[in-house]
Parts: sequence; C-alpha cells; structure tokens
Amino acid sequence: MASVHESLYFNPMMTNGVVHANVFGIKDWVTPYKIAVLVLLNEMGRTGEGAVSLMERRRLNQLLLPLLQGPDITLSKLYKLIEESCPQLANSVQIRIKLMAEGELKDMEQFFDDLSDSFSGTEPEVHKTSVVGLFLRHMILAYSKLSFSQVFKLYTALQQYFQNGEKKTVEDADMELTNREEGERKMEKEELDVSIREEEVSCSGPLSQKQAEFFLSQQASLLKNDETKALTPASLQKELNNLLKFNPDFAEAHYLSYLNNLRVQDVFSSTHSLLHYFDRLILTGAESKSNGEEGYGRSLRYAALNLAALHCRFGHYQQAELALQEAIRIAQESNDHVCLQHCLSWLYVLGQKRSDSYVLLEHSVKKAVHFGLPYLASLGIQSLVQQRAFAGKTANKLMDALKDSDLLHWKHSLSELIDISIAQKTAIWRLYGRSTMALQQAQMLLSMNSLESVNAGVQQNNTESFAVALCHLAELHAEQGCFAAASEVLKHLKERFPPNSQHAQLWMLCDQKIQFDRAMNDGKYHLADSLVTGITALNSIEGVYRKAIVLQAQNQMSEAHKLLQKLLIHCQKIRNTEMVISVLLSVAELYWRSSSPTVALPVLLQALALSKEYRLQYLASQTVLNLAFAQLILGIPEQALSLLHMAIEPILADGAVLDKGRAMFLVAKCQVASAASYDPPKKAEALEAAIENLNEAKNYFAKVDCKEQIRDVVYFQARLYHTLGKTQERNRCAMLFRQLHQELPSHGVPLINHL
Amino acid sequence: MAASPSIVPVAVTAAVVPVLSASSDFSNLREIKKQLLLIAGLTRERGLLHSSKWSAELAFSLPALPLAELQPPPPITEEDAQDMDAYTLAKAYFDVKEYDRAAHFLHGCNSKKAYFLYMYSRYLSGEKKKDDETVDSLGPLEKGQVKNEALRELRVELSKKHQARELDGFGLYLYGVVLRKLDLVKEAIDVFVEATHVLPLHWGAWLELCNLITDKEMLKFLSLPDTWMKEFFLAHIYTELQLIEEALQKYQNLIDVGFSKSSYIVSQIAVAYHNIRDIDKALSIFNELRKQDPYRIENMDTFSNLLYVRSMKSELSYLAHNLCEIDKYRVETCCVIGNYYSLRSQHEKAALYFQRALKLNPRYLGAWTLMGHEYMEMKNTSAAIQAYRHAIEVNKRDYRAWYGLGQTYEILKMPFYCLYYYRRAHQLRPNDSRMLVALGECYEKLNQLVEAKKCYWRAYAVGDVEKMALVKLAKLHEQLTESEQAAQCYIKYIQDIYSCGEIVEHLEESTAFRYLAQYYFKCKLWDEASTCAQKCCAFNDTREEGKALLRQILQLRNQGETPSTEMPAPFFLPASLSANNTPTRRVSPLNLSSVTP
Repeated sequence: MASVHESLYFNPMMTNGVVHANVFGIKDWVTPYKIAVLVLLNEMGRTGEGAVSLMERRRLNQLLLPLLQGPDITLSKLYKLIEESCPQLANSVQIRIKLMAEGELKDMEQFFDDLSDSFSGTEPEVHKTSVVGLFLRHMILAYSKLSFSQVFKLYTALQQYFQNGEKKTVEDADMELTNREEGERKMEKEELDVSIREEEVSCSGPLSQKQAEFFLSQQASLLKNDETKALTPASLQKELNNLLKFNPDFAEAHYLSYLNNLRVQDVFSSTHSLLHYFDRLILTGAESKSNGEEGYGRSLRYAALNLAALHCRFGHYQQAELALQEAIRIAQESNDHVCLQHCLSWLYVLGQKRSDSYVLLEHSVKKAVHFGLPYLASLGIQSLVQQRAFAGKTANKLMDALKDSDLLHWKHSLSELIDISIAQKTAIWRLYGRSTMALQQAQMLLSMNSLESVNAGVQQNNTESFAVALCHLAELHAEQGCFAAASEVLKHLKERFPPNSQHAQLWMLCDQKIQFDRAMNDGKYHLADSLVTGITALNSIEGVYRKAIVLQAQNQMSEAHKLLQKLLIHCQKIRNTEMVISVLLSVAELYWRSSSPTVALPVLLQALALSKEYRLQYLASQTVLNLAFAQLILGIPEQALSLLHMAIEPILADGAVLDKGRAMFLVAKCQVASAASYDPPKKAEALEAAIENLNEAKNYFAKVDCKEQIRDVVYFQARLYHTLGKTQERNRCAMLFRQLHQELPSHGVPLINHL
Repeated sequence: MAASPSIVPVAVTAAVVPVLSASSDFSNLREIKKQLLLIAGLTRERGLLHSSKWSAELAFSLPALPLAELQPPPPITEEDAQDMDAYTLAKAYFDVKEYDRAAHFLHGCNSKKAYFLYMYSRYLSGEKKKDDETVDSLGPLEKGQVKNEALRELRVELSKKHQARELDGFGLYLYGVVLRKLDLVKEAIDVFVEATHVLPLHWGAWLELCNLITDKEMLKFLSLPDTWMKEFFLAHIYTELQLIEEALQKYQNLIDVGFSKSSYIVSQIAVAYHNIRDIDKALSIFNELRKQDPYRIENMDTFSNLLYVRSMKSELSYLAHNLCEIDKYRVETCCVIGNYYSLRSQHEKAALYFQRALKLNPRYLGAWTLMGHEYMEMKNTSAAIQAYRHAIEVNKRDYRAWYGLGQTYEILKMPFYCLYYYRRAHQLRPNDSRMLVALGECYEKLNQLVEAKKCYWRAYAVGDVEKMALVKLAKLHEQLTESEQAAQCYIKYIQDIYSCGEIVEHLEESTAFRYLAQYYFKCKLWDEASTCAQKCCAFNDTREEGKALLRQILQLRNQGETPSTEMPAPFFLPASLSANNTPTRRVSPLNLSSVTP
C-alpha cells in the first residue's frame, strides 16, 4: 500500500488543499486586444434582446470569461471566436474596430468616454459588481491613468494591431494571386515574415499581471490535479522564463517553476527556483505593511519547511531532517503553532522512513484539532489509520476513525482528502482480504469523481489516490481472471499517468506483478524471471520474494530457501507482517515439496497465528489450505477435510480464482483419500462428489490459464472415472491429459505433490 | 570593468586603409603612434568618442613625433567633398544630441563617413527613445518589452550592405552592435571579428568582442588579426576572464616595449592585482596612477574598495572629496562616497549613494552587492536579500552576492538554509578560503562535524586568508577528543603566524599555547610543556593558568619523575620546528555532502 501522503507539499497558493487564484489589486492595463474585447462588450450591450438569439447569447456569455482572463490574442483569432458564437455580432465588431483604427485619436477617446454609460440609467446594462462590470471599470480606470504620450502610444498600437489582423485576412484571400508576383517582392516579404514569426515565438505578448496570475494559478492547479492536461515541462518552463524576463519580481513564477522542475526530477533547478521564490517572497512580505515583521518571519519558516519537503521528495532524508529542524526551531522561536503543526506532520513522514513513531502522530492530530487545522488533522488521522492497519488493529476501529475524519472532510469540503480516505479504505479492505468490499470502494471513488466534476468543476483526476484505487482495481480483476479488464484498467492508467510522472511507479509495479502472476500460472518461468528485475527496481522486498518463488518453481530449492530466510529476517525487522506471512507460506511449501511435511507444520502454524493476530483473512485462509495439504500428505485426510470446511467459505467468497481452484482440488483429493476406507456404495458416492468438485476446480483453473493444474485435475479425474468404471468419460479425460502433457514440459515432480 | 558600451564605429575611406593595417610587432613605436593619432581622428569624426579617447590616451603615452614625421590628414575624396556640407551640418546636430535631425540631413549621402554617421545617428536616436520610453511604458510588465525600434530596420539595411561587401570597418562595427542588441550573439561575434580584420586599430570593436566572449574555449576558436592591437585585447580579456596571471604577463610585456606611461595599462594592472587580492601592490599602483592623472575617475571605485579593506579612512575621505569636486554624478564617484560612509559606519547614507550609483547606471552590478552589505550592516535583512538577488540577476557569477545571501541567512539563524548559498559561492571561487570557512561554520552549527572538518582543512590547504581555519579545526578535534590532531593543528597555526611575521593581534594564540601546554603535560613532555606554559604567561587571559601549570611541572620534576621515553615525541615547539616537520599542504578532493544543488 503506497503512502498516500507523500504527495502533499505545502503550497503557498493553497489553503487547506484548495488552490486559490491569488487576488491582488488592479494590476491591469489597456491593450489593443482589451479594446477589441471592450468593443465586443459594448456591442453586446447595444444589440437588444431580439437581435441575437438566445442560443447565440448563451454561447457569447460562455466565451466572455476566457476572453477576459486569457492572454492577448490576435485580432483575426478573436474574430473567428466571435464568429463561431454569433456571426452577425462579429461583423459589427469588425466594422467598429475598423472605424476606430482608421479614424482619428478622438474616436478612441470618445469610445472610452461612452463606456461608462453602460452603468448609468435606472436599469443599467451592466451591473457594477459583476465580472463584466469589474472588467469595464478596471479598463476605464486604467485608461484614465494613462499619460498623454501613453494614450497616443496606445492608439498607434491599436492601429498596428488592426493592420496585422487585416494583413492576415488579406494574405489568406490572395493566396492564389501571389504566385505571379515577381521574385524580388516575394523575397522581401518572406524576409519580413520570418522576422515577424520569430517575434511571435519569442514573446507571444507579455501577460498583464492579472493574466499572468491567472496563467500561474491555472497551471498550478493543473499540476496538482491533472498533470497530463498542464503544459509539458519544457513549454511551461519556456513560458515561465518569458514571464520572468518581463517581470523578474513576479515571485510566484519561481514557485511554479519549482513545481515544474519537480515533475522532471531535477534537484538542482528545483532547489534553485524554490530558494529564489522565497528570497523574493521575503521581500514582498516585508513590503506589505499589513503583515509587517510577522509576514517576513513567516516566509522564512516556510522556506525552511519547503526545503525539507523538497529533500524528502528526492529521498535525501538526512538533509530533509536538518532543514526540518531548522524550520521547527524558527517556528518555536516565534510561537507559530500552525507552522509547527506542519513541521510535526513532516516529522512523522520522515520518522516513518526509519521506525514507527505513532506517538508523534497522535500528538499531531490532537494539536491540529486544537488549532483548528482540519486538513492536517484528518491527514494525521489517515496516517494513523494506515499505521494502525499494519499494526493489526481491528477493522471496525479503523473504519470508525475514517468515518470521523470523513465527517470533517465533508464539513470543510476537502475533496482531496475524501479521495484519499476512499483509496485508503480500498487498501484496508484488500489488506484484510475482502475483495468485494475493496472493489466496491474503488468503484465508488471512480464514480464519485464524475459526480464532483459536475458539481464543483474541480476535477481531481490525477492524484495519487486515483492511481492507488485504479491499481487495486486492476489487481482485483486480475485475481478474478479478468485479464482483459485488468489490462484495460492498466491502459487507462498509462494514459492518465504517463511513465515519467510522479505516480507512474504505482502502476508500473502493479503491471509487472500481474504479468508475473500470469507467467507463473502459465508455467513460463523464464518469463517470470525476466520480470523479477523490473519488480526489484520498483520494490526491492517484493522483488526478492518473487525471485524466491521463481527459484522454487524451477526446483532450485536451496537457493530459494536461502533467499527466503534472508527475506524473513529483514521483514521481521521492518515489521512487514504481510510479507512475513507470505514468506512463511513459501518456506512451508518448500518443506513439503522436499518431502518433509512435518517440518512445514510449525512454520504454517506460526503463519496462521500471525495472520489471525493481524486479521489478514486472505492470508489466513491460504495458510489453512497449506495446513490441510500438509495433513493430507501426512495421511490424515479426515482432519484435512474438516479443516478445509472451515476455510473454504471465505476463499470462495473473497479469494482469488486460483485459490478457489486450489481449494476445490484439495477438497476433492481429501474426499478421495478419506473414501479409501469406505464401503463400495458409499465410496462411489464420495468419488462422484469428488469428480463434481474437480470439475469446479477445473473451471476455476481454466479462468486463469493454469494448464499445469488443469492437467493434474484431468489426470485425477481420469483415475477416478477409471475406478468408477466409466470408460467413456475416463477416455475423454485421458485424451485431454495427453494433449496437455504434450504441450507442457514435465519437471519430474510427482503429480500429486502439488497444492 | 568594461568601458561603457556606447558605440564607436567609423568609416574609413579606401585610401586610408593601407596606413591602418597594423603590423604585429612593437618594433616601430613611431609607426604605432602615427596609427594611433590617425585612428583617434577618424573615430572622433564619426562620433565614436570612447574609442577616440582610448586611442588618444595611448598615443599620449608614446614620445612625441617631430614635425617632419607628422602625418598629413587623409586626402579628401570626391565623395567626401560632395557630402561635405551635409556632413558638417549633421555632425553639429549630432554633437548636440539631435540625432533625428542629423539623420534627416544625412539621408542619401554616399560617402562612407556620412553614411556611417547617418546610421549611427539613427541607432543612437533609437537608444535614446528607448530610454525615454522605459519611464513612460504602459505597464510594469512591459518594462522588459521596450525595444529600440530602429534596430530591426538597421539590421535589414546593414545586412544588405554587408552581403554586398560595402561596409568598411566602422560599418561592420555598427552592424555588430546592432546584432548584439538584438541578442544575436553568434552573428555579432562573427561580424566583430570581421571588423577587427578590416580595421584592427579600432578599439571599440575589440571591446565589444570582450563583452561577448564568456570563456577561454571561445577565445581559442576565434581567428583574430595578427596585430599589435591584439595584445591589448588579450590582456583585457584575460582580466575579464579572471585569468590574472596571464593578464599581468601581457601587461608587463606591453610596458616593456614602451607603453610604461600609459595610464590605461597602469590602471588595468592595478585592477588585476585587486582581483587577486594583492592589496598592497594594487594600492601602490593606484597611488602612482593618481599622481600621473589626478583627475581620472575611471577605476577609482576599485581603488576605494582597496582603501576600504585596509580601513584607510583619511585616504578614502580625501579621494571621495576629490572625486566629488571633479564630477559628483559619476557612478564611480557615488561608489567611492558610499564606501566612505560605510567605513564611517553611516550605513544609511552609504546605501543612499549606492542607490544613486544604480540610478545612474542600473547595470553597475558592484553597487547592488555593496548595497546589500550596507543593508546587512543596518540589520535590514529583507532589503539586503533583495539587493543581493538583484546583483545575481545582473550577473549570476557574482560570488560576493551569493556569499552575502549566505551571510544574511546565517544571521537569521538558518544554517542549513544558507549552506546552499555558500556552496554556490564556493563553486564560483573554489580556492577562496572565506567561503570554505563559512561552510565549515555552518556544518559545525548543524553538528555535521565530519563535513566541517573537511571544509576547514580544505580552507587551510588553499591558503587561509583570515588564519582562522586551523584554530577552528583544532577546536573541532578538541571537541571530538582527537587530541593528537588538535595539537598538530595548533602547532601548524602557531607556525603559520610566526612564519608570516605579522604583528597583527591574534586572539587565538593564547588558546593554542594553553592547549599545547596541557597536551604536552599529559604526554609528560616536561620541557615542551613548560616552554608552552611560559608562552601562556605572556597573555593576559592565560597568565594564571600558565603559572599554575609551570608550578605543577616543577613539582613533578622535583619528585624525580623522568619523562617517559617510550612515549613518542611527535611534536616540538614552534621555535624548534624544523623544516621536515612543516605540514604538507595536501589538497584533498573536497567531497561535501551528497547533495550539492
């Protein structure tokens, strides 16, 4: 289960997990493009209700917001956009701009004088406080602030803007005519074009502060929620450099560049950007009188905290700790409890890497509640739940805790945490071996997303919780033998989280694991072996375990045993109970495969005790299966059968298909073995039942392509039919066996000696 | 410091060119003087004032020519005669900075001189308008947007002429300047190199080339004309690239061949000494320079830095008043006055003067750093950070600004945070002990003693300026109870101090002797111990301890305890330290912590 919380870094543009567009004062000025938009607004006001159809008006209204917020675009593009929504309006806008640009300066002055009329009257066209109203007023204010020479400059800029737009349209029109033009002129024109194009690339218009802020907050929230939709790292960096060239004081751009560098795992540039940001922030913090000294010290603390987060992100835990200590010290000196809370959470994250320190966490949760920091509080609860789940607390307590934190989330609408919570529930249910519940939770998270996008417009598409849930979904499907569905899910994952993105490792591991399992089922051990390297790269413990399994399957028992023992000691040290039990099971299998089932028994009992203690039901039933098999080999099939009756129910309910098949197969074997002492009619009855069970087992095995197991089953069936004297069925089974046997290499292992 | 980038191209008529092709050796100084006088005249005619000044200065340093040898002014060609009236009028307008007017009257002129002045007027008019626009732009974000509108047109016209090979040396120079202003660095370099080939005497072209070359490799791949001007260029660029040894060598050669009176060369040598922190030499050269050329303002900011470092208050005050009388609205003057106030601890006023310097020339990066230092003194850390950041923006390789940022954060008690800045500074000046000591101190504060030890050792190895690294290292060893190493460090420290023979008060001397006395005492080396203890008595703070130790030693000796002979006696007193015991200054590779962003 991946730690869901690592993704959280402190972002100054974000409070309680929500990215805000930071709202500053009037930081806008008039450009020719803005004038064109103003003309559009004016035209929209002038044309009465009847002139424009309702549909067109709606489309226009939808168009307005991006036009007001977005970067400047060329006139021809603007015309096109308007034309798509309402052709007749586009025409009148075009005419008015033409008149203004080809007229005199006084036309523009007159236009701005008339603008404020829209507010007057008993029923004004535009409300003063509406989005459009605010824009209009900003523009009027900015215009009246212009000096004499600036007004003239603006007018010439407008003329230029208009001419560029005209030229484009004219160019489009006489495309065909130019062919006959003389070479000289054409060359000159080309030369000019080249330089113009160069310019367009190098500075696609400087953004006004408002536009820049919009751009930054948009990209930041995309990075957080849906990385694939954001600009690519390279182009984003280019934009940012451009922005910084025009205004080096725009500190937020440095922060975004830090986030952007994190995407590409660039330690150097990201450190550089982060520190630059805080150097700049410190300056602005000191300048704003409202915060005074307080604001200045604050940014220092968070600077150190962010540095810690950065180092943690890159796995430099020692560095991170030093930075964190610094942040804690400064925060303590200035009594900043909120910052201290953040530090405490990070301290836990760092502590987690070394040893468990849930005391810290409990403390953190209490404090966070006390200081009214819901985000940190429920984050803490979630970490605590995760930690406790590994420590074997009962599910009802964990679920209670999660429910409580869910209340908190809904109250403060912390949608990100809701997602994490559900992802966590999925993981917990899977840990406990309840695949149905896990499936349900995963589906819930996925379908909830679509609900929310309708409601709030905040589409959290790209977060770690989604990756986790989807990975679980893929694994669950693979367990049930729905490989097509699993690969479909994986394909989706690949699209959503491209291989170089932050959470890609999750699905990569998941993908490899599924492939490995399939290869093992298929008996293609060499294939499985080649996958081990990939798994080891992503998760070393898992890798070693899988390596041991492959070795075991290839009958290299002593190597496998050595590996497993090492792994066992390591896992006991880091208290990875799940893995300890799996390893114990493998060790037991090793023992009975090397014909010493008596040695396997204590190991199995140990595994059983552990899995019961930690309530890992899935592993518990697997252990019982193994136990029963050991008993069968030891010659007490009645005991085995009664043990199986205990375990079969949860396996059939929640287990993987492979386990179901194995369980049924084992039941049949036990039935046959115990029937040996029965009188003939009863024996025949028992054998019939066994055959039924074998059929069921065969179906399960067929689902996951376990040919080896099917072969065993068919062989066994043939023998049973033979005993019952059903020649026809026997022959059919025997033929099937023969086909399979020819396909598969035989390893010389006694057929029966297989769970 | 590069001379101001304002421009200095000139067109030379075809008839003059043969005279201007300079030979590569210095054997004929008279010929060189003739050439210098000629080019000074040519550049003056074209309004290229800085080049003209440089050439004239250099010519002045050579012995005067007899009347017979004086060169007649270049003959006037037919074309020149045609344009004479227009040129005279335009030059007058040009001189009173009415560039558009000058360009208007020169339009259509064919002679090279007039054509150059025509283009140059247009260029300067664009630059002037750009400066005016900056104040009056539409919005703050447009600031970086303001461009010299004329540049593109000039480029198109000049490139046509260039292709037609109609440009002379001055024209090529102007073309290069236009390209550089358009950020077309590669093309600009090519054009400047061509300009130096066509007209090697024009210093402006060389100077522009200096500004565009960023490292030694680039320099290697340039094919430059083989003239005596190249020597000046190489010396200059070596200074710029901080290759001080090579630069000094070149300048020495130039002095040897007869330019010993040139104030330009003398000042360059002084700056070079300043860069390698040879303060005494630099000071004496500057003093000499001031005697020769008392009204010189250039480079005086460097001089004031030196005076500041040596805390020579009266000299600095004299210099400041003197410069203020000459011209108070010069960047250098403001800088000197700022330094003066800073030395008198009037930091507000100092900051004010540095600000004024920046207003006069926003790209004068030294002032940003100095202003940062002033704000630091005033404990205004946020303003200091801002100033340093500005300095870094102007020049990323300004190690003093990085170091200043580190210091600021250190004052704010963020030792981990400031590591980054010190590392940056260290990267830029790998052999500067100050950054290493600062790094070591930070690591010490973070309790990373291993790293700290590395830093101090390295600081000592590269030649410690403040002589503090060894003491700090010794104390670290003391902390780690590595007494042998500690003692060794103290011995080296004392050795160092005695060997350099400075009478500067070293506070840590007594500490060193005290530790050594105790160390020898523990090792039962009575002689050495008592010598050290006696030394201790010479210092106020350790006198009592020294006496007590002496008494103890005496007591133990009287008890007849013989010094244990088994004990190896690895260390001796500083006085008796023989040559074979001098520490080897072995520079081990410095591998600081794994992450060095």
